[in-house]
Amino acid sequence: MTTPGCGQISFAALTDYPVGELPGTDATAIEDHLFSCAECGTRAAELDQLVRAIGPAVRSAEVGGFVTDAVLNRLAREGVRTRTFALSPGAVVPCAVWEDDEVMALRLRAEFGVASEITMSQRVAGNEVLRATGHIASSSPGELVYALPAAWVRQLPAVEIEVLLTAHGGDDERPLARYTLVHEGSLRR
Amino acid sequence: MPETNATADAISDEALARRIADGPAGSTDAEEAELYRRFAPRVRLYGRRHLRDGAAADDLAQDVLLRTIERLRAGEVRRPEEIGSFILGTSRMTAHGERRITRRREALAARFVEMPGNTSPASTATLDTPRVASCLRALTERDRLVVLLTYYAEREAPRIAEDLGISPGAVRAIRHRAMARLRECVLRGHQP
Repeated sequence: MTTPGCGQISFAALTDYPVGELPGTDATAIEDHLFSCAECGTRAAELDQLVRAIGPAVRSAEVGGFVTDAVLNRLAREGVRTRTFALSPGAVVPCAVWEDDEVMALRLRAEFGVASEITMSQRVAGNEVLRATGHIASSSPGELVYALPAAWVRQLPAVEIEVLLTAHGGDDERPLARYTLVHEGSLRR
Repeated sequence: MPETNATADAISDEALARRIADGPAGSTDAEEAELYRRFAPRVRLYGRRHLRDGAAADDLAQDVLLRTIERLRAGEVRRPEEIGSFILGTSRMTAHGERRITRRREALAARFVEMPGNTSPASTATLDTPRVASCLRALTERDRLVVLLTYYAEREAPRIAEDLGISPGAVRAIRHRAMARLRECVLRGHQP
């Protein structure tokens, strides 16, 4: 059954299918249709292309953002060199990024209280270069993990990188913690 | 254009299957590559669901399409007009015997070294990595994290919900939105 313009399987339903979130009967119906409909096959090919492209993009270390240990563990299993800094509030630490590091992971520890959202701001030489808002993962209470490309840090001159966390909860907004990475250029082995 | 003269990409699944079945050995490379292009993504999604592993799903797609072409060449596909059903049935049977896949694939690859599965047909080539990375960066933090946990860390939805402190329904809604935005950005060039 090849139906031009067929909308029997939506893109959203397709995203549910491979991750096992459809009841067995729905999944079987999708399978039976998918293998006989060119239109839905094309939609499946788009999803397949996207899903297959995510791994190489993440491994390229160019994605970054808030992550959890599940993502860092996968990067480690795939041999991506990750430099991790575990920082307590007020920490001032040397930012040792080696020439072969690919990802820099910041474990930002703080008392988050009941905050629902946290904004992280990075400043280089007093200028804000990055601002991101994320949520505390209940799998790692007391810390927020942020990954960024090590190449971005390496290209900086010797400079202090300030990282600021601000908590949001309801109408409330309060500074949480400040960390300082003292970057002195890329290190060679 | 009559299907007898049309190029492989312009004919029906049935006509494609018949050409492979009827063509002399070595004369249907284009048809075999087209069959692979059309069905490998569907088999991979099937594999992701049933094997819960991206690499195993890749193996399954290659194995199923190799088996299908082998059966077509041998004249063992009785109803070429239902080639999709045949491939689905082969996927089910092969996934069921997953542990045999590696041995079987190695044996078949040795027999058909020039098979389309080894030549990366254009439609299954990976997308431009810097572009995908840029589109992932453009997602909101939560959307991106759900995409990474689902498709990179291969975490199941209930576990993601637990990790992020949200409901499984919220994970699903975020994933729908995020993947739609990613598709628009990567394939259509629209920034989220």
